[in-house]
Amino acid sequence: MKKVRTILAALLILSAVAGNAQGKWFTRNGKINFFSKTNGENIDADNNEVFSMIDPVKNEMAFQVLNTGFKFHKALMQEHFNENYMESSKYPKASFKGNFTDPSKIDFTKDGTYKVLVAGDLTMHGETKKINIPATIIVAGGKVSGESKFNIKLADYDIKIPSVVSNQISEDVAVTVKCQYEAYK
Amino acid sequence: MRYFITVILFFLLISVDAQDSLSNLLDKEMSTKMAGKKQYTYATFKGTQLVNSRTVETIGKGDLDFRVSHRFGDIGGQFGGEKSFFGLENSTDVKISFDYGITNRLTAGVSRSKGATSVRQLYEVSLKYKLLRQTDGHTMPFTVTAYSNVVVTSMSSNAKANTPDHFNSFGDRLSFANQLLIARKFSDNFSLMLVPSWVHTNYVIHNDQNDIFAIGIGGRVKLTKRMALVADYFKVFRNKTSINNFENDGLSFYNPLGIGVEFETGGHVFDFTFTNSTAIMENQFIPYTTTSWRQWRFRWGFNLSRIFSLKKNK
Repeated sequence: MKKVRTILAALLILSAVAGNAQGKWFTRNGKINFFSKTNGENIDADNNEVFSMIDPVKNEMAFQVLNTGFKFHKALMQEHFNENYMESSKYPKASFKGNFTDPSKIDFTKDGTYKVLVAGDLTMHGETKKINIPATIIVAGGKVSGESKFNIKLADYDIKIPSVVSNQISEDVAVTVKCQYEAYK
Repeated sequence: MRYFITVILFFLLISVDAQDSLSNLLDKEMSTKMAGKKQYTYATFKGTQLVNSRTVETIGKGDLDFRVSHRFGDIGGQFGGEKSFFGLENSTDVKISFDYGITNRLTAGVSRSKGATSVRQLYEVSLKYKLLRQTDGHTMPFTVTAYSNVVVTSMSSNAKANTPDHFNSFGDRLSFANQLLIARKFSDNFSLMLVPSWVHTNYVIHNDQNDIFAIGIGGRVKLTKRMALVADYFKVFRNKTSINNFENDGLSFYNPLGIGVEFETGGHVFDFTFTNSTAIMENQFIPYTTTSWRQWRFRWGFNLSRIFSLKKNK
């Protein structure tokens, strides 16, 4: 009986202390930027309130961001982004749900820089598209951070650019995501 | 003891398996965070002008709004018809203005307009401040903006006394408009606005009033993402004595009613309008609209806006 109790105690301590080694990783202030370059105008917006979670055990990850949280250099651009293009009152969030195509490549318990591929569903403006994107996961000193750069096509998400402004808004938009994760409690 | 182990194992199992999916967890985290955060309603109106009335909107910090407004001659009646090509060959008023966003809530403006009454050559300086901002949810149901201007005429004084353009001093050349613009965006497609207004003219002729109060109502109904119907109406409160005295001299006052179609393309907003008022400035169209829709004395007009960003790109 004493043995059982010891094992139980050890188990509890283990799950409390070491549990996070394979627990979930979470952030509520990840950064996302998108950039569109044309001869007419550069469009550059930042949002520092990306919510993201990675579950290494299940090999799952999720990202969410509020469209109205994107900050633009020009107030009018921000208004047009929400009102005309993203229709933020109808579709307030953009989200991504996916997994590592080869989870065995990453060891969240071991320091290192892991170049990986992520596959999943990107949802915005009411449209969902499967995307495959490269990402870098860095594990250092018990912290996890992730970074990814990829391009999306506005047409894939039913975002229409009127011909009068087509010289100011590029059809291809470069997206950069950077997240610094903490252990999820 | 066995019972104890079962309970512990049960809890361990729960902590592993019964957890929500990642997306649900994120949803929860996000709504917790957003619950305490104000989301201000954006784009109650496109731009700072409806038809005749201003809107609650201010110019973004560091942006410059360049506007040109035009009112043509009467479409019908004595001065309209084919001989003036339905008013298009006359212009009752033209206004050119620059409004600059000092902050996102404070706009300063200067303008020049032709002027549509016997007082012409008008220069205007104005300030507009967004006092309250509507929020999504129920904390603040309205956006409230205060607007004030000073208008001065540069025209030469009429030598004849008791005429509207007879100026004894610089002060006689001034008029002021003060408005409180109260608006609510009810949905993406529908916004409504009330505009209590007060116009003070320093010098007026014998039968006229220095102070005129009015209440405006205006609205927008979006037809498509970039096209909307806009309209505004001002109920003007002029006292009976003044109305009667002017009517004895053959001049009747009417309430200004404007309707229009608004097109928005990127940094441009274009309003194509019809209105019975001849003047563009509040200081004139509120107290001195003497043309009526019923006599076909309404006109084509347009408001054109282009926003320039004076801030450097990153």
